[in-house]
Amino acid sequence: MNCRKARQESGSMKMSELQVGDKAEVTAVKAGQAVRRRILDMGLITGTRFKVLRVAPLGDPMEIFFKGMYLSLRKNEAEGISVRKTGEAGDGIAMSGDKQGRCCCGGAR
Amino acid sequence: MQVKEISVALAGNPNCGKSSLFNVLTGSHQRVGNFSGVTIEKHEGYADYGSYRIRFVDLPGTYSLTPYSPEEIVTRNFLLEDKPDVVVNVVEAPNLERNLLLTTQLMEMHVDFLVALNMFDELEEKGITVDGKQLQKLLGCHIVPTSAKRKTGIDALLAHIVRVYEKDIEIQKNKLSFRPETEEAVAAIAGMLAWEKSLEGADTRWLAIKLLENDREVYHQVQQYPVWVKVELALQDAIRDAARLFDSDPEILITEDRHAFIRGAMQECVRITESRRSTVTDYIDMVVLNRVLGLPIFLFVVWAIFQLTFTLGSPLMDLLEALFAAFAGVVEPLLPSPMFRSIVIDGLIAGVGGVLVFLPNIVLLFIGLSFLEASGYMARAAFVIDKVMHRFGLHGKSFIPMITGFGCSIPAIMATRTLKSPTDRLATILVIPFMSCGAKLPVYVLLAGAFFPPEVAANVMFAIYLLGVAVALLTARLLKSTVLRSESEPFVMELPPYRWPTLHSVLFQAKLKAMMYVKKAGTLILAAVIVIWAASNFPRSADIDRRTAEETGRIAKSLMTAAERDAALRAVSFRAQSEQLQYSLAGRVGKVIEPVIRPIGFDWRIGIALVTGLAAKEVVVSTMGTIYALADTEESSAELAGILKNDPSFSRATALSLMVFVLLYIPCVASMGVMKKEIGQWKPVLFYSIYVLFLAWTLSFITYRGALLML
Repeated sequence: MNCRKARQESGSMKMSELQVGDKAEVTAVKAGQAVRRRILDMGLITGTRFKVLRVAPLGDPMEIFFKGMYLSLRKNEAEGISVRKTGEAGDGIAMSGDKQGRCCCGGAR
Repeated sequence: MQVKEISVALAGNPNCGKSSLFNVLTGSHQRVGNFSGVTIEKHEGYADYGSYRIRFVDLPGTYSLTPYSPEEIVTRNFLLEDKPDVVVNVVEAPNLERNLLLTTQLMEMHVDFLVALNMFDELEEKGITVDGKQLQKLLGCHIVPTSAKRKTGIDALLAHIVRVYEKDIEIQKNKLSFRPETEEAVAAIAGMLAWEKSLEGADTRWLAIKLLENDREVYHQVQQYPVWVKVELALQDAIRDAARLFDSDPEILITEDRHAFIRGAMQECVRITESRRSTVTDYIDMVVLNRVLGLPIFLFVVWAIFQLTFTLGSPLMDLLEALFAAFAGVVEPLLPSPMFRSIVIDGLIAGVGGVLVFLPNIVLLFIGLSFLEASGYMARAAFVIDKVMHRFGLHGKSFIPMITGFGCSIPAIMATRTLKSPTDRLATILVIPFMSCGAKLPVYVLLAGAFFPPEVAANVMFAIYLLGVAVALLTARLLKSTVLRSESEPFVMELPPYRWPTLHSVLFQAKLKAMMYVKKAGTLILAAVIVIWAASNFPRSADIDRRTAEETGRIAKSLMTAAERDAALRAVSFRAQSEQLQYSLAGRVGKVIEPVIRPIGFDWRIGIALVTGLAAKEVVVSTMGTIYALADTEESSAELAGILKNDPSFSRATALSLMVFVLLYIPCVASMGVMKKEIGQWKPVLFYSIYVLFLAWTLSFITYRGALLML
């Protein structure tokens, strides 16, 4: 499958650079004080896996899904979040890859 | 039997079903006010259980207790200062993981709390099992499964509240410990704080954690004391260590440790056997937030709300107006003296009536808005339109209140309560009056109709509306880049799952807003309307009265037909009204300001109309009718249009200038009253009045001079 490709792309990038359908993992939150506080409080911390669900009709903000939450944030805010891509749309890779076989793929496929 | 009172606070994330649980718990014993100093609603209610009366306060939904938003500050201050006996932490069972952050923060505070595992009934259908016993041990508190929807677990919850209150607790409190480096720093700082006499009795561990978390409020609190010098050094050490050891900072480390604890708890206690299926929310959003359909659907919803409020509302408004008119008709003959009659009819009834006729609109608007809010669409609407609004420094959620402003500023200003950030909210409130409201329409219809051919008149009016929108957006931009500049408000917003709102909650919200409007704004607006009425009627000239009486007598005795006599009498009475108005305070103000408004093409007659127009914008038309001494003061009357057209002092340029001025100058007293009420202080409202006067004058000047050159 796309495993090799996924590994190749595992370099750090900004959340704002992800495409709709991409799955990724947060590697660092570097935004300004208030934004960072908010993002951390929402549970979007290092290691959190999420999926990019969509971008608003006018191109901004974007919507992601993680831990049962639909979260929208402006690309401006998403720029402060470093991520590592873990998969793409429809690749069947689980979003929360822990041992209990939980699969929380957000959004309809 | 002695009844014991237990005070209970309900705390939890937004959309965790906290408010429905509150409704089930308290039934009809509810009361709504505001938290002191802020416009965040405070819902209170009680339930009787055995020999206990349990008083609930439904705190605003928050994700965390760090002071990020006004809701969080309110929630935290309530827990710290009002010290409720028991805190019930409502968590959404199907989304336990992200709900537990608040729980971990409660664990740190010295509060007696228990967890209501709400929406418990949904666990089974989602294939989730929760090991409640183990979770109780980890969180160190009682856990009660509840379902507000099915009304289960309610008695058990009440029973547990009583047990926690009576310290009949079988579970040992658990402490969340952070990584050793953080714990060391916490212990060191807590130790220093313990030496500070003024902080005696305070929870030093909690304060230390908050300081490491960079918590503004706690910073300000501790900074006052001499111990701060030492604490500051310790904090700097901690920051340096965190950077050196973990390439991070204490704030992030603490949050990560909390989440690590939560993840551990989840792994120990929660089993998810089925994979997540697409939910109704996923399917609806596929359509509603679709790249192509998203915007049209959004515009349709806005249109529908507008129609609901103003199209459906206007017959009701007419009905109320008719009722007040009928009432005035009944009362009029009962009142002996003309002066007293005028106070009651033109002052009181017109004043109260003028305020109350908006009630149907307000109720309808809030039925619509609370439906959007409770169903989950409001957040989507903000998501769709945020890009445009953000460009002008506003929030996506500012859009709906602004559009509502086209109907009437009052409900629009009240609708800004959906905005969470105080600066966004203030900016939105201040630009709403530029969205040309329904009451200004008669002015445009009159002037555009009189001075432009029908096919151009509509375009002129449209241009005025556009000018209003442009001024609104540019003013917002200006405000947000000057006086209201704050650290750019982040847009990080949950899109809650769609839910079918209950009729009760929708109607309750509408009722609440209606009451608020009638009670609070009503008093202030009424007072202001009466002041303006008095200014337009006093002082009165006895001379004019005498002359009018003489003339009336002469006409009555003259040999005219009945119809002629009626016409003559009406003419005399209107001339008298016009003269009295000129003699009154409002009239004098109009004359005094003439030199100021001369450059923008207005004479004293328009000046008077502008002064009385402060009561309500449609009054501009009726005052002009009176002052140009017409027999008929019907709004937008063709006759007035004809008179203005033939008046040498009134040109197309004057008409355009006046339209611009009416669009922009000080909003009606009712809006100003609501504005003050929602902002909470007069200062911004006064500055705002000066700003709009300056703006209106400048733009009218440009319009007038430009029009003189071109037309």
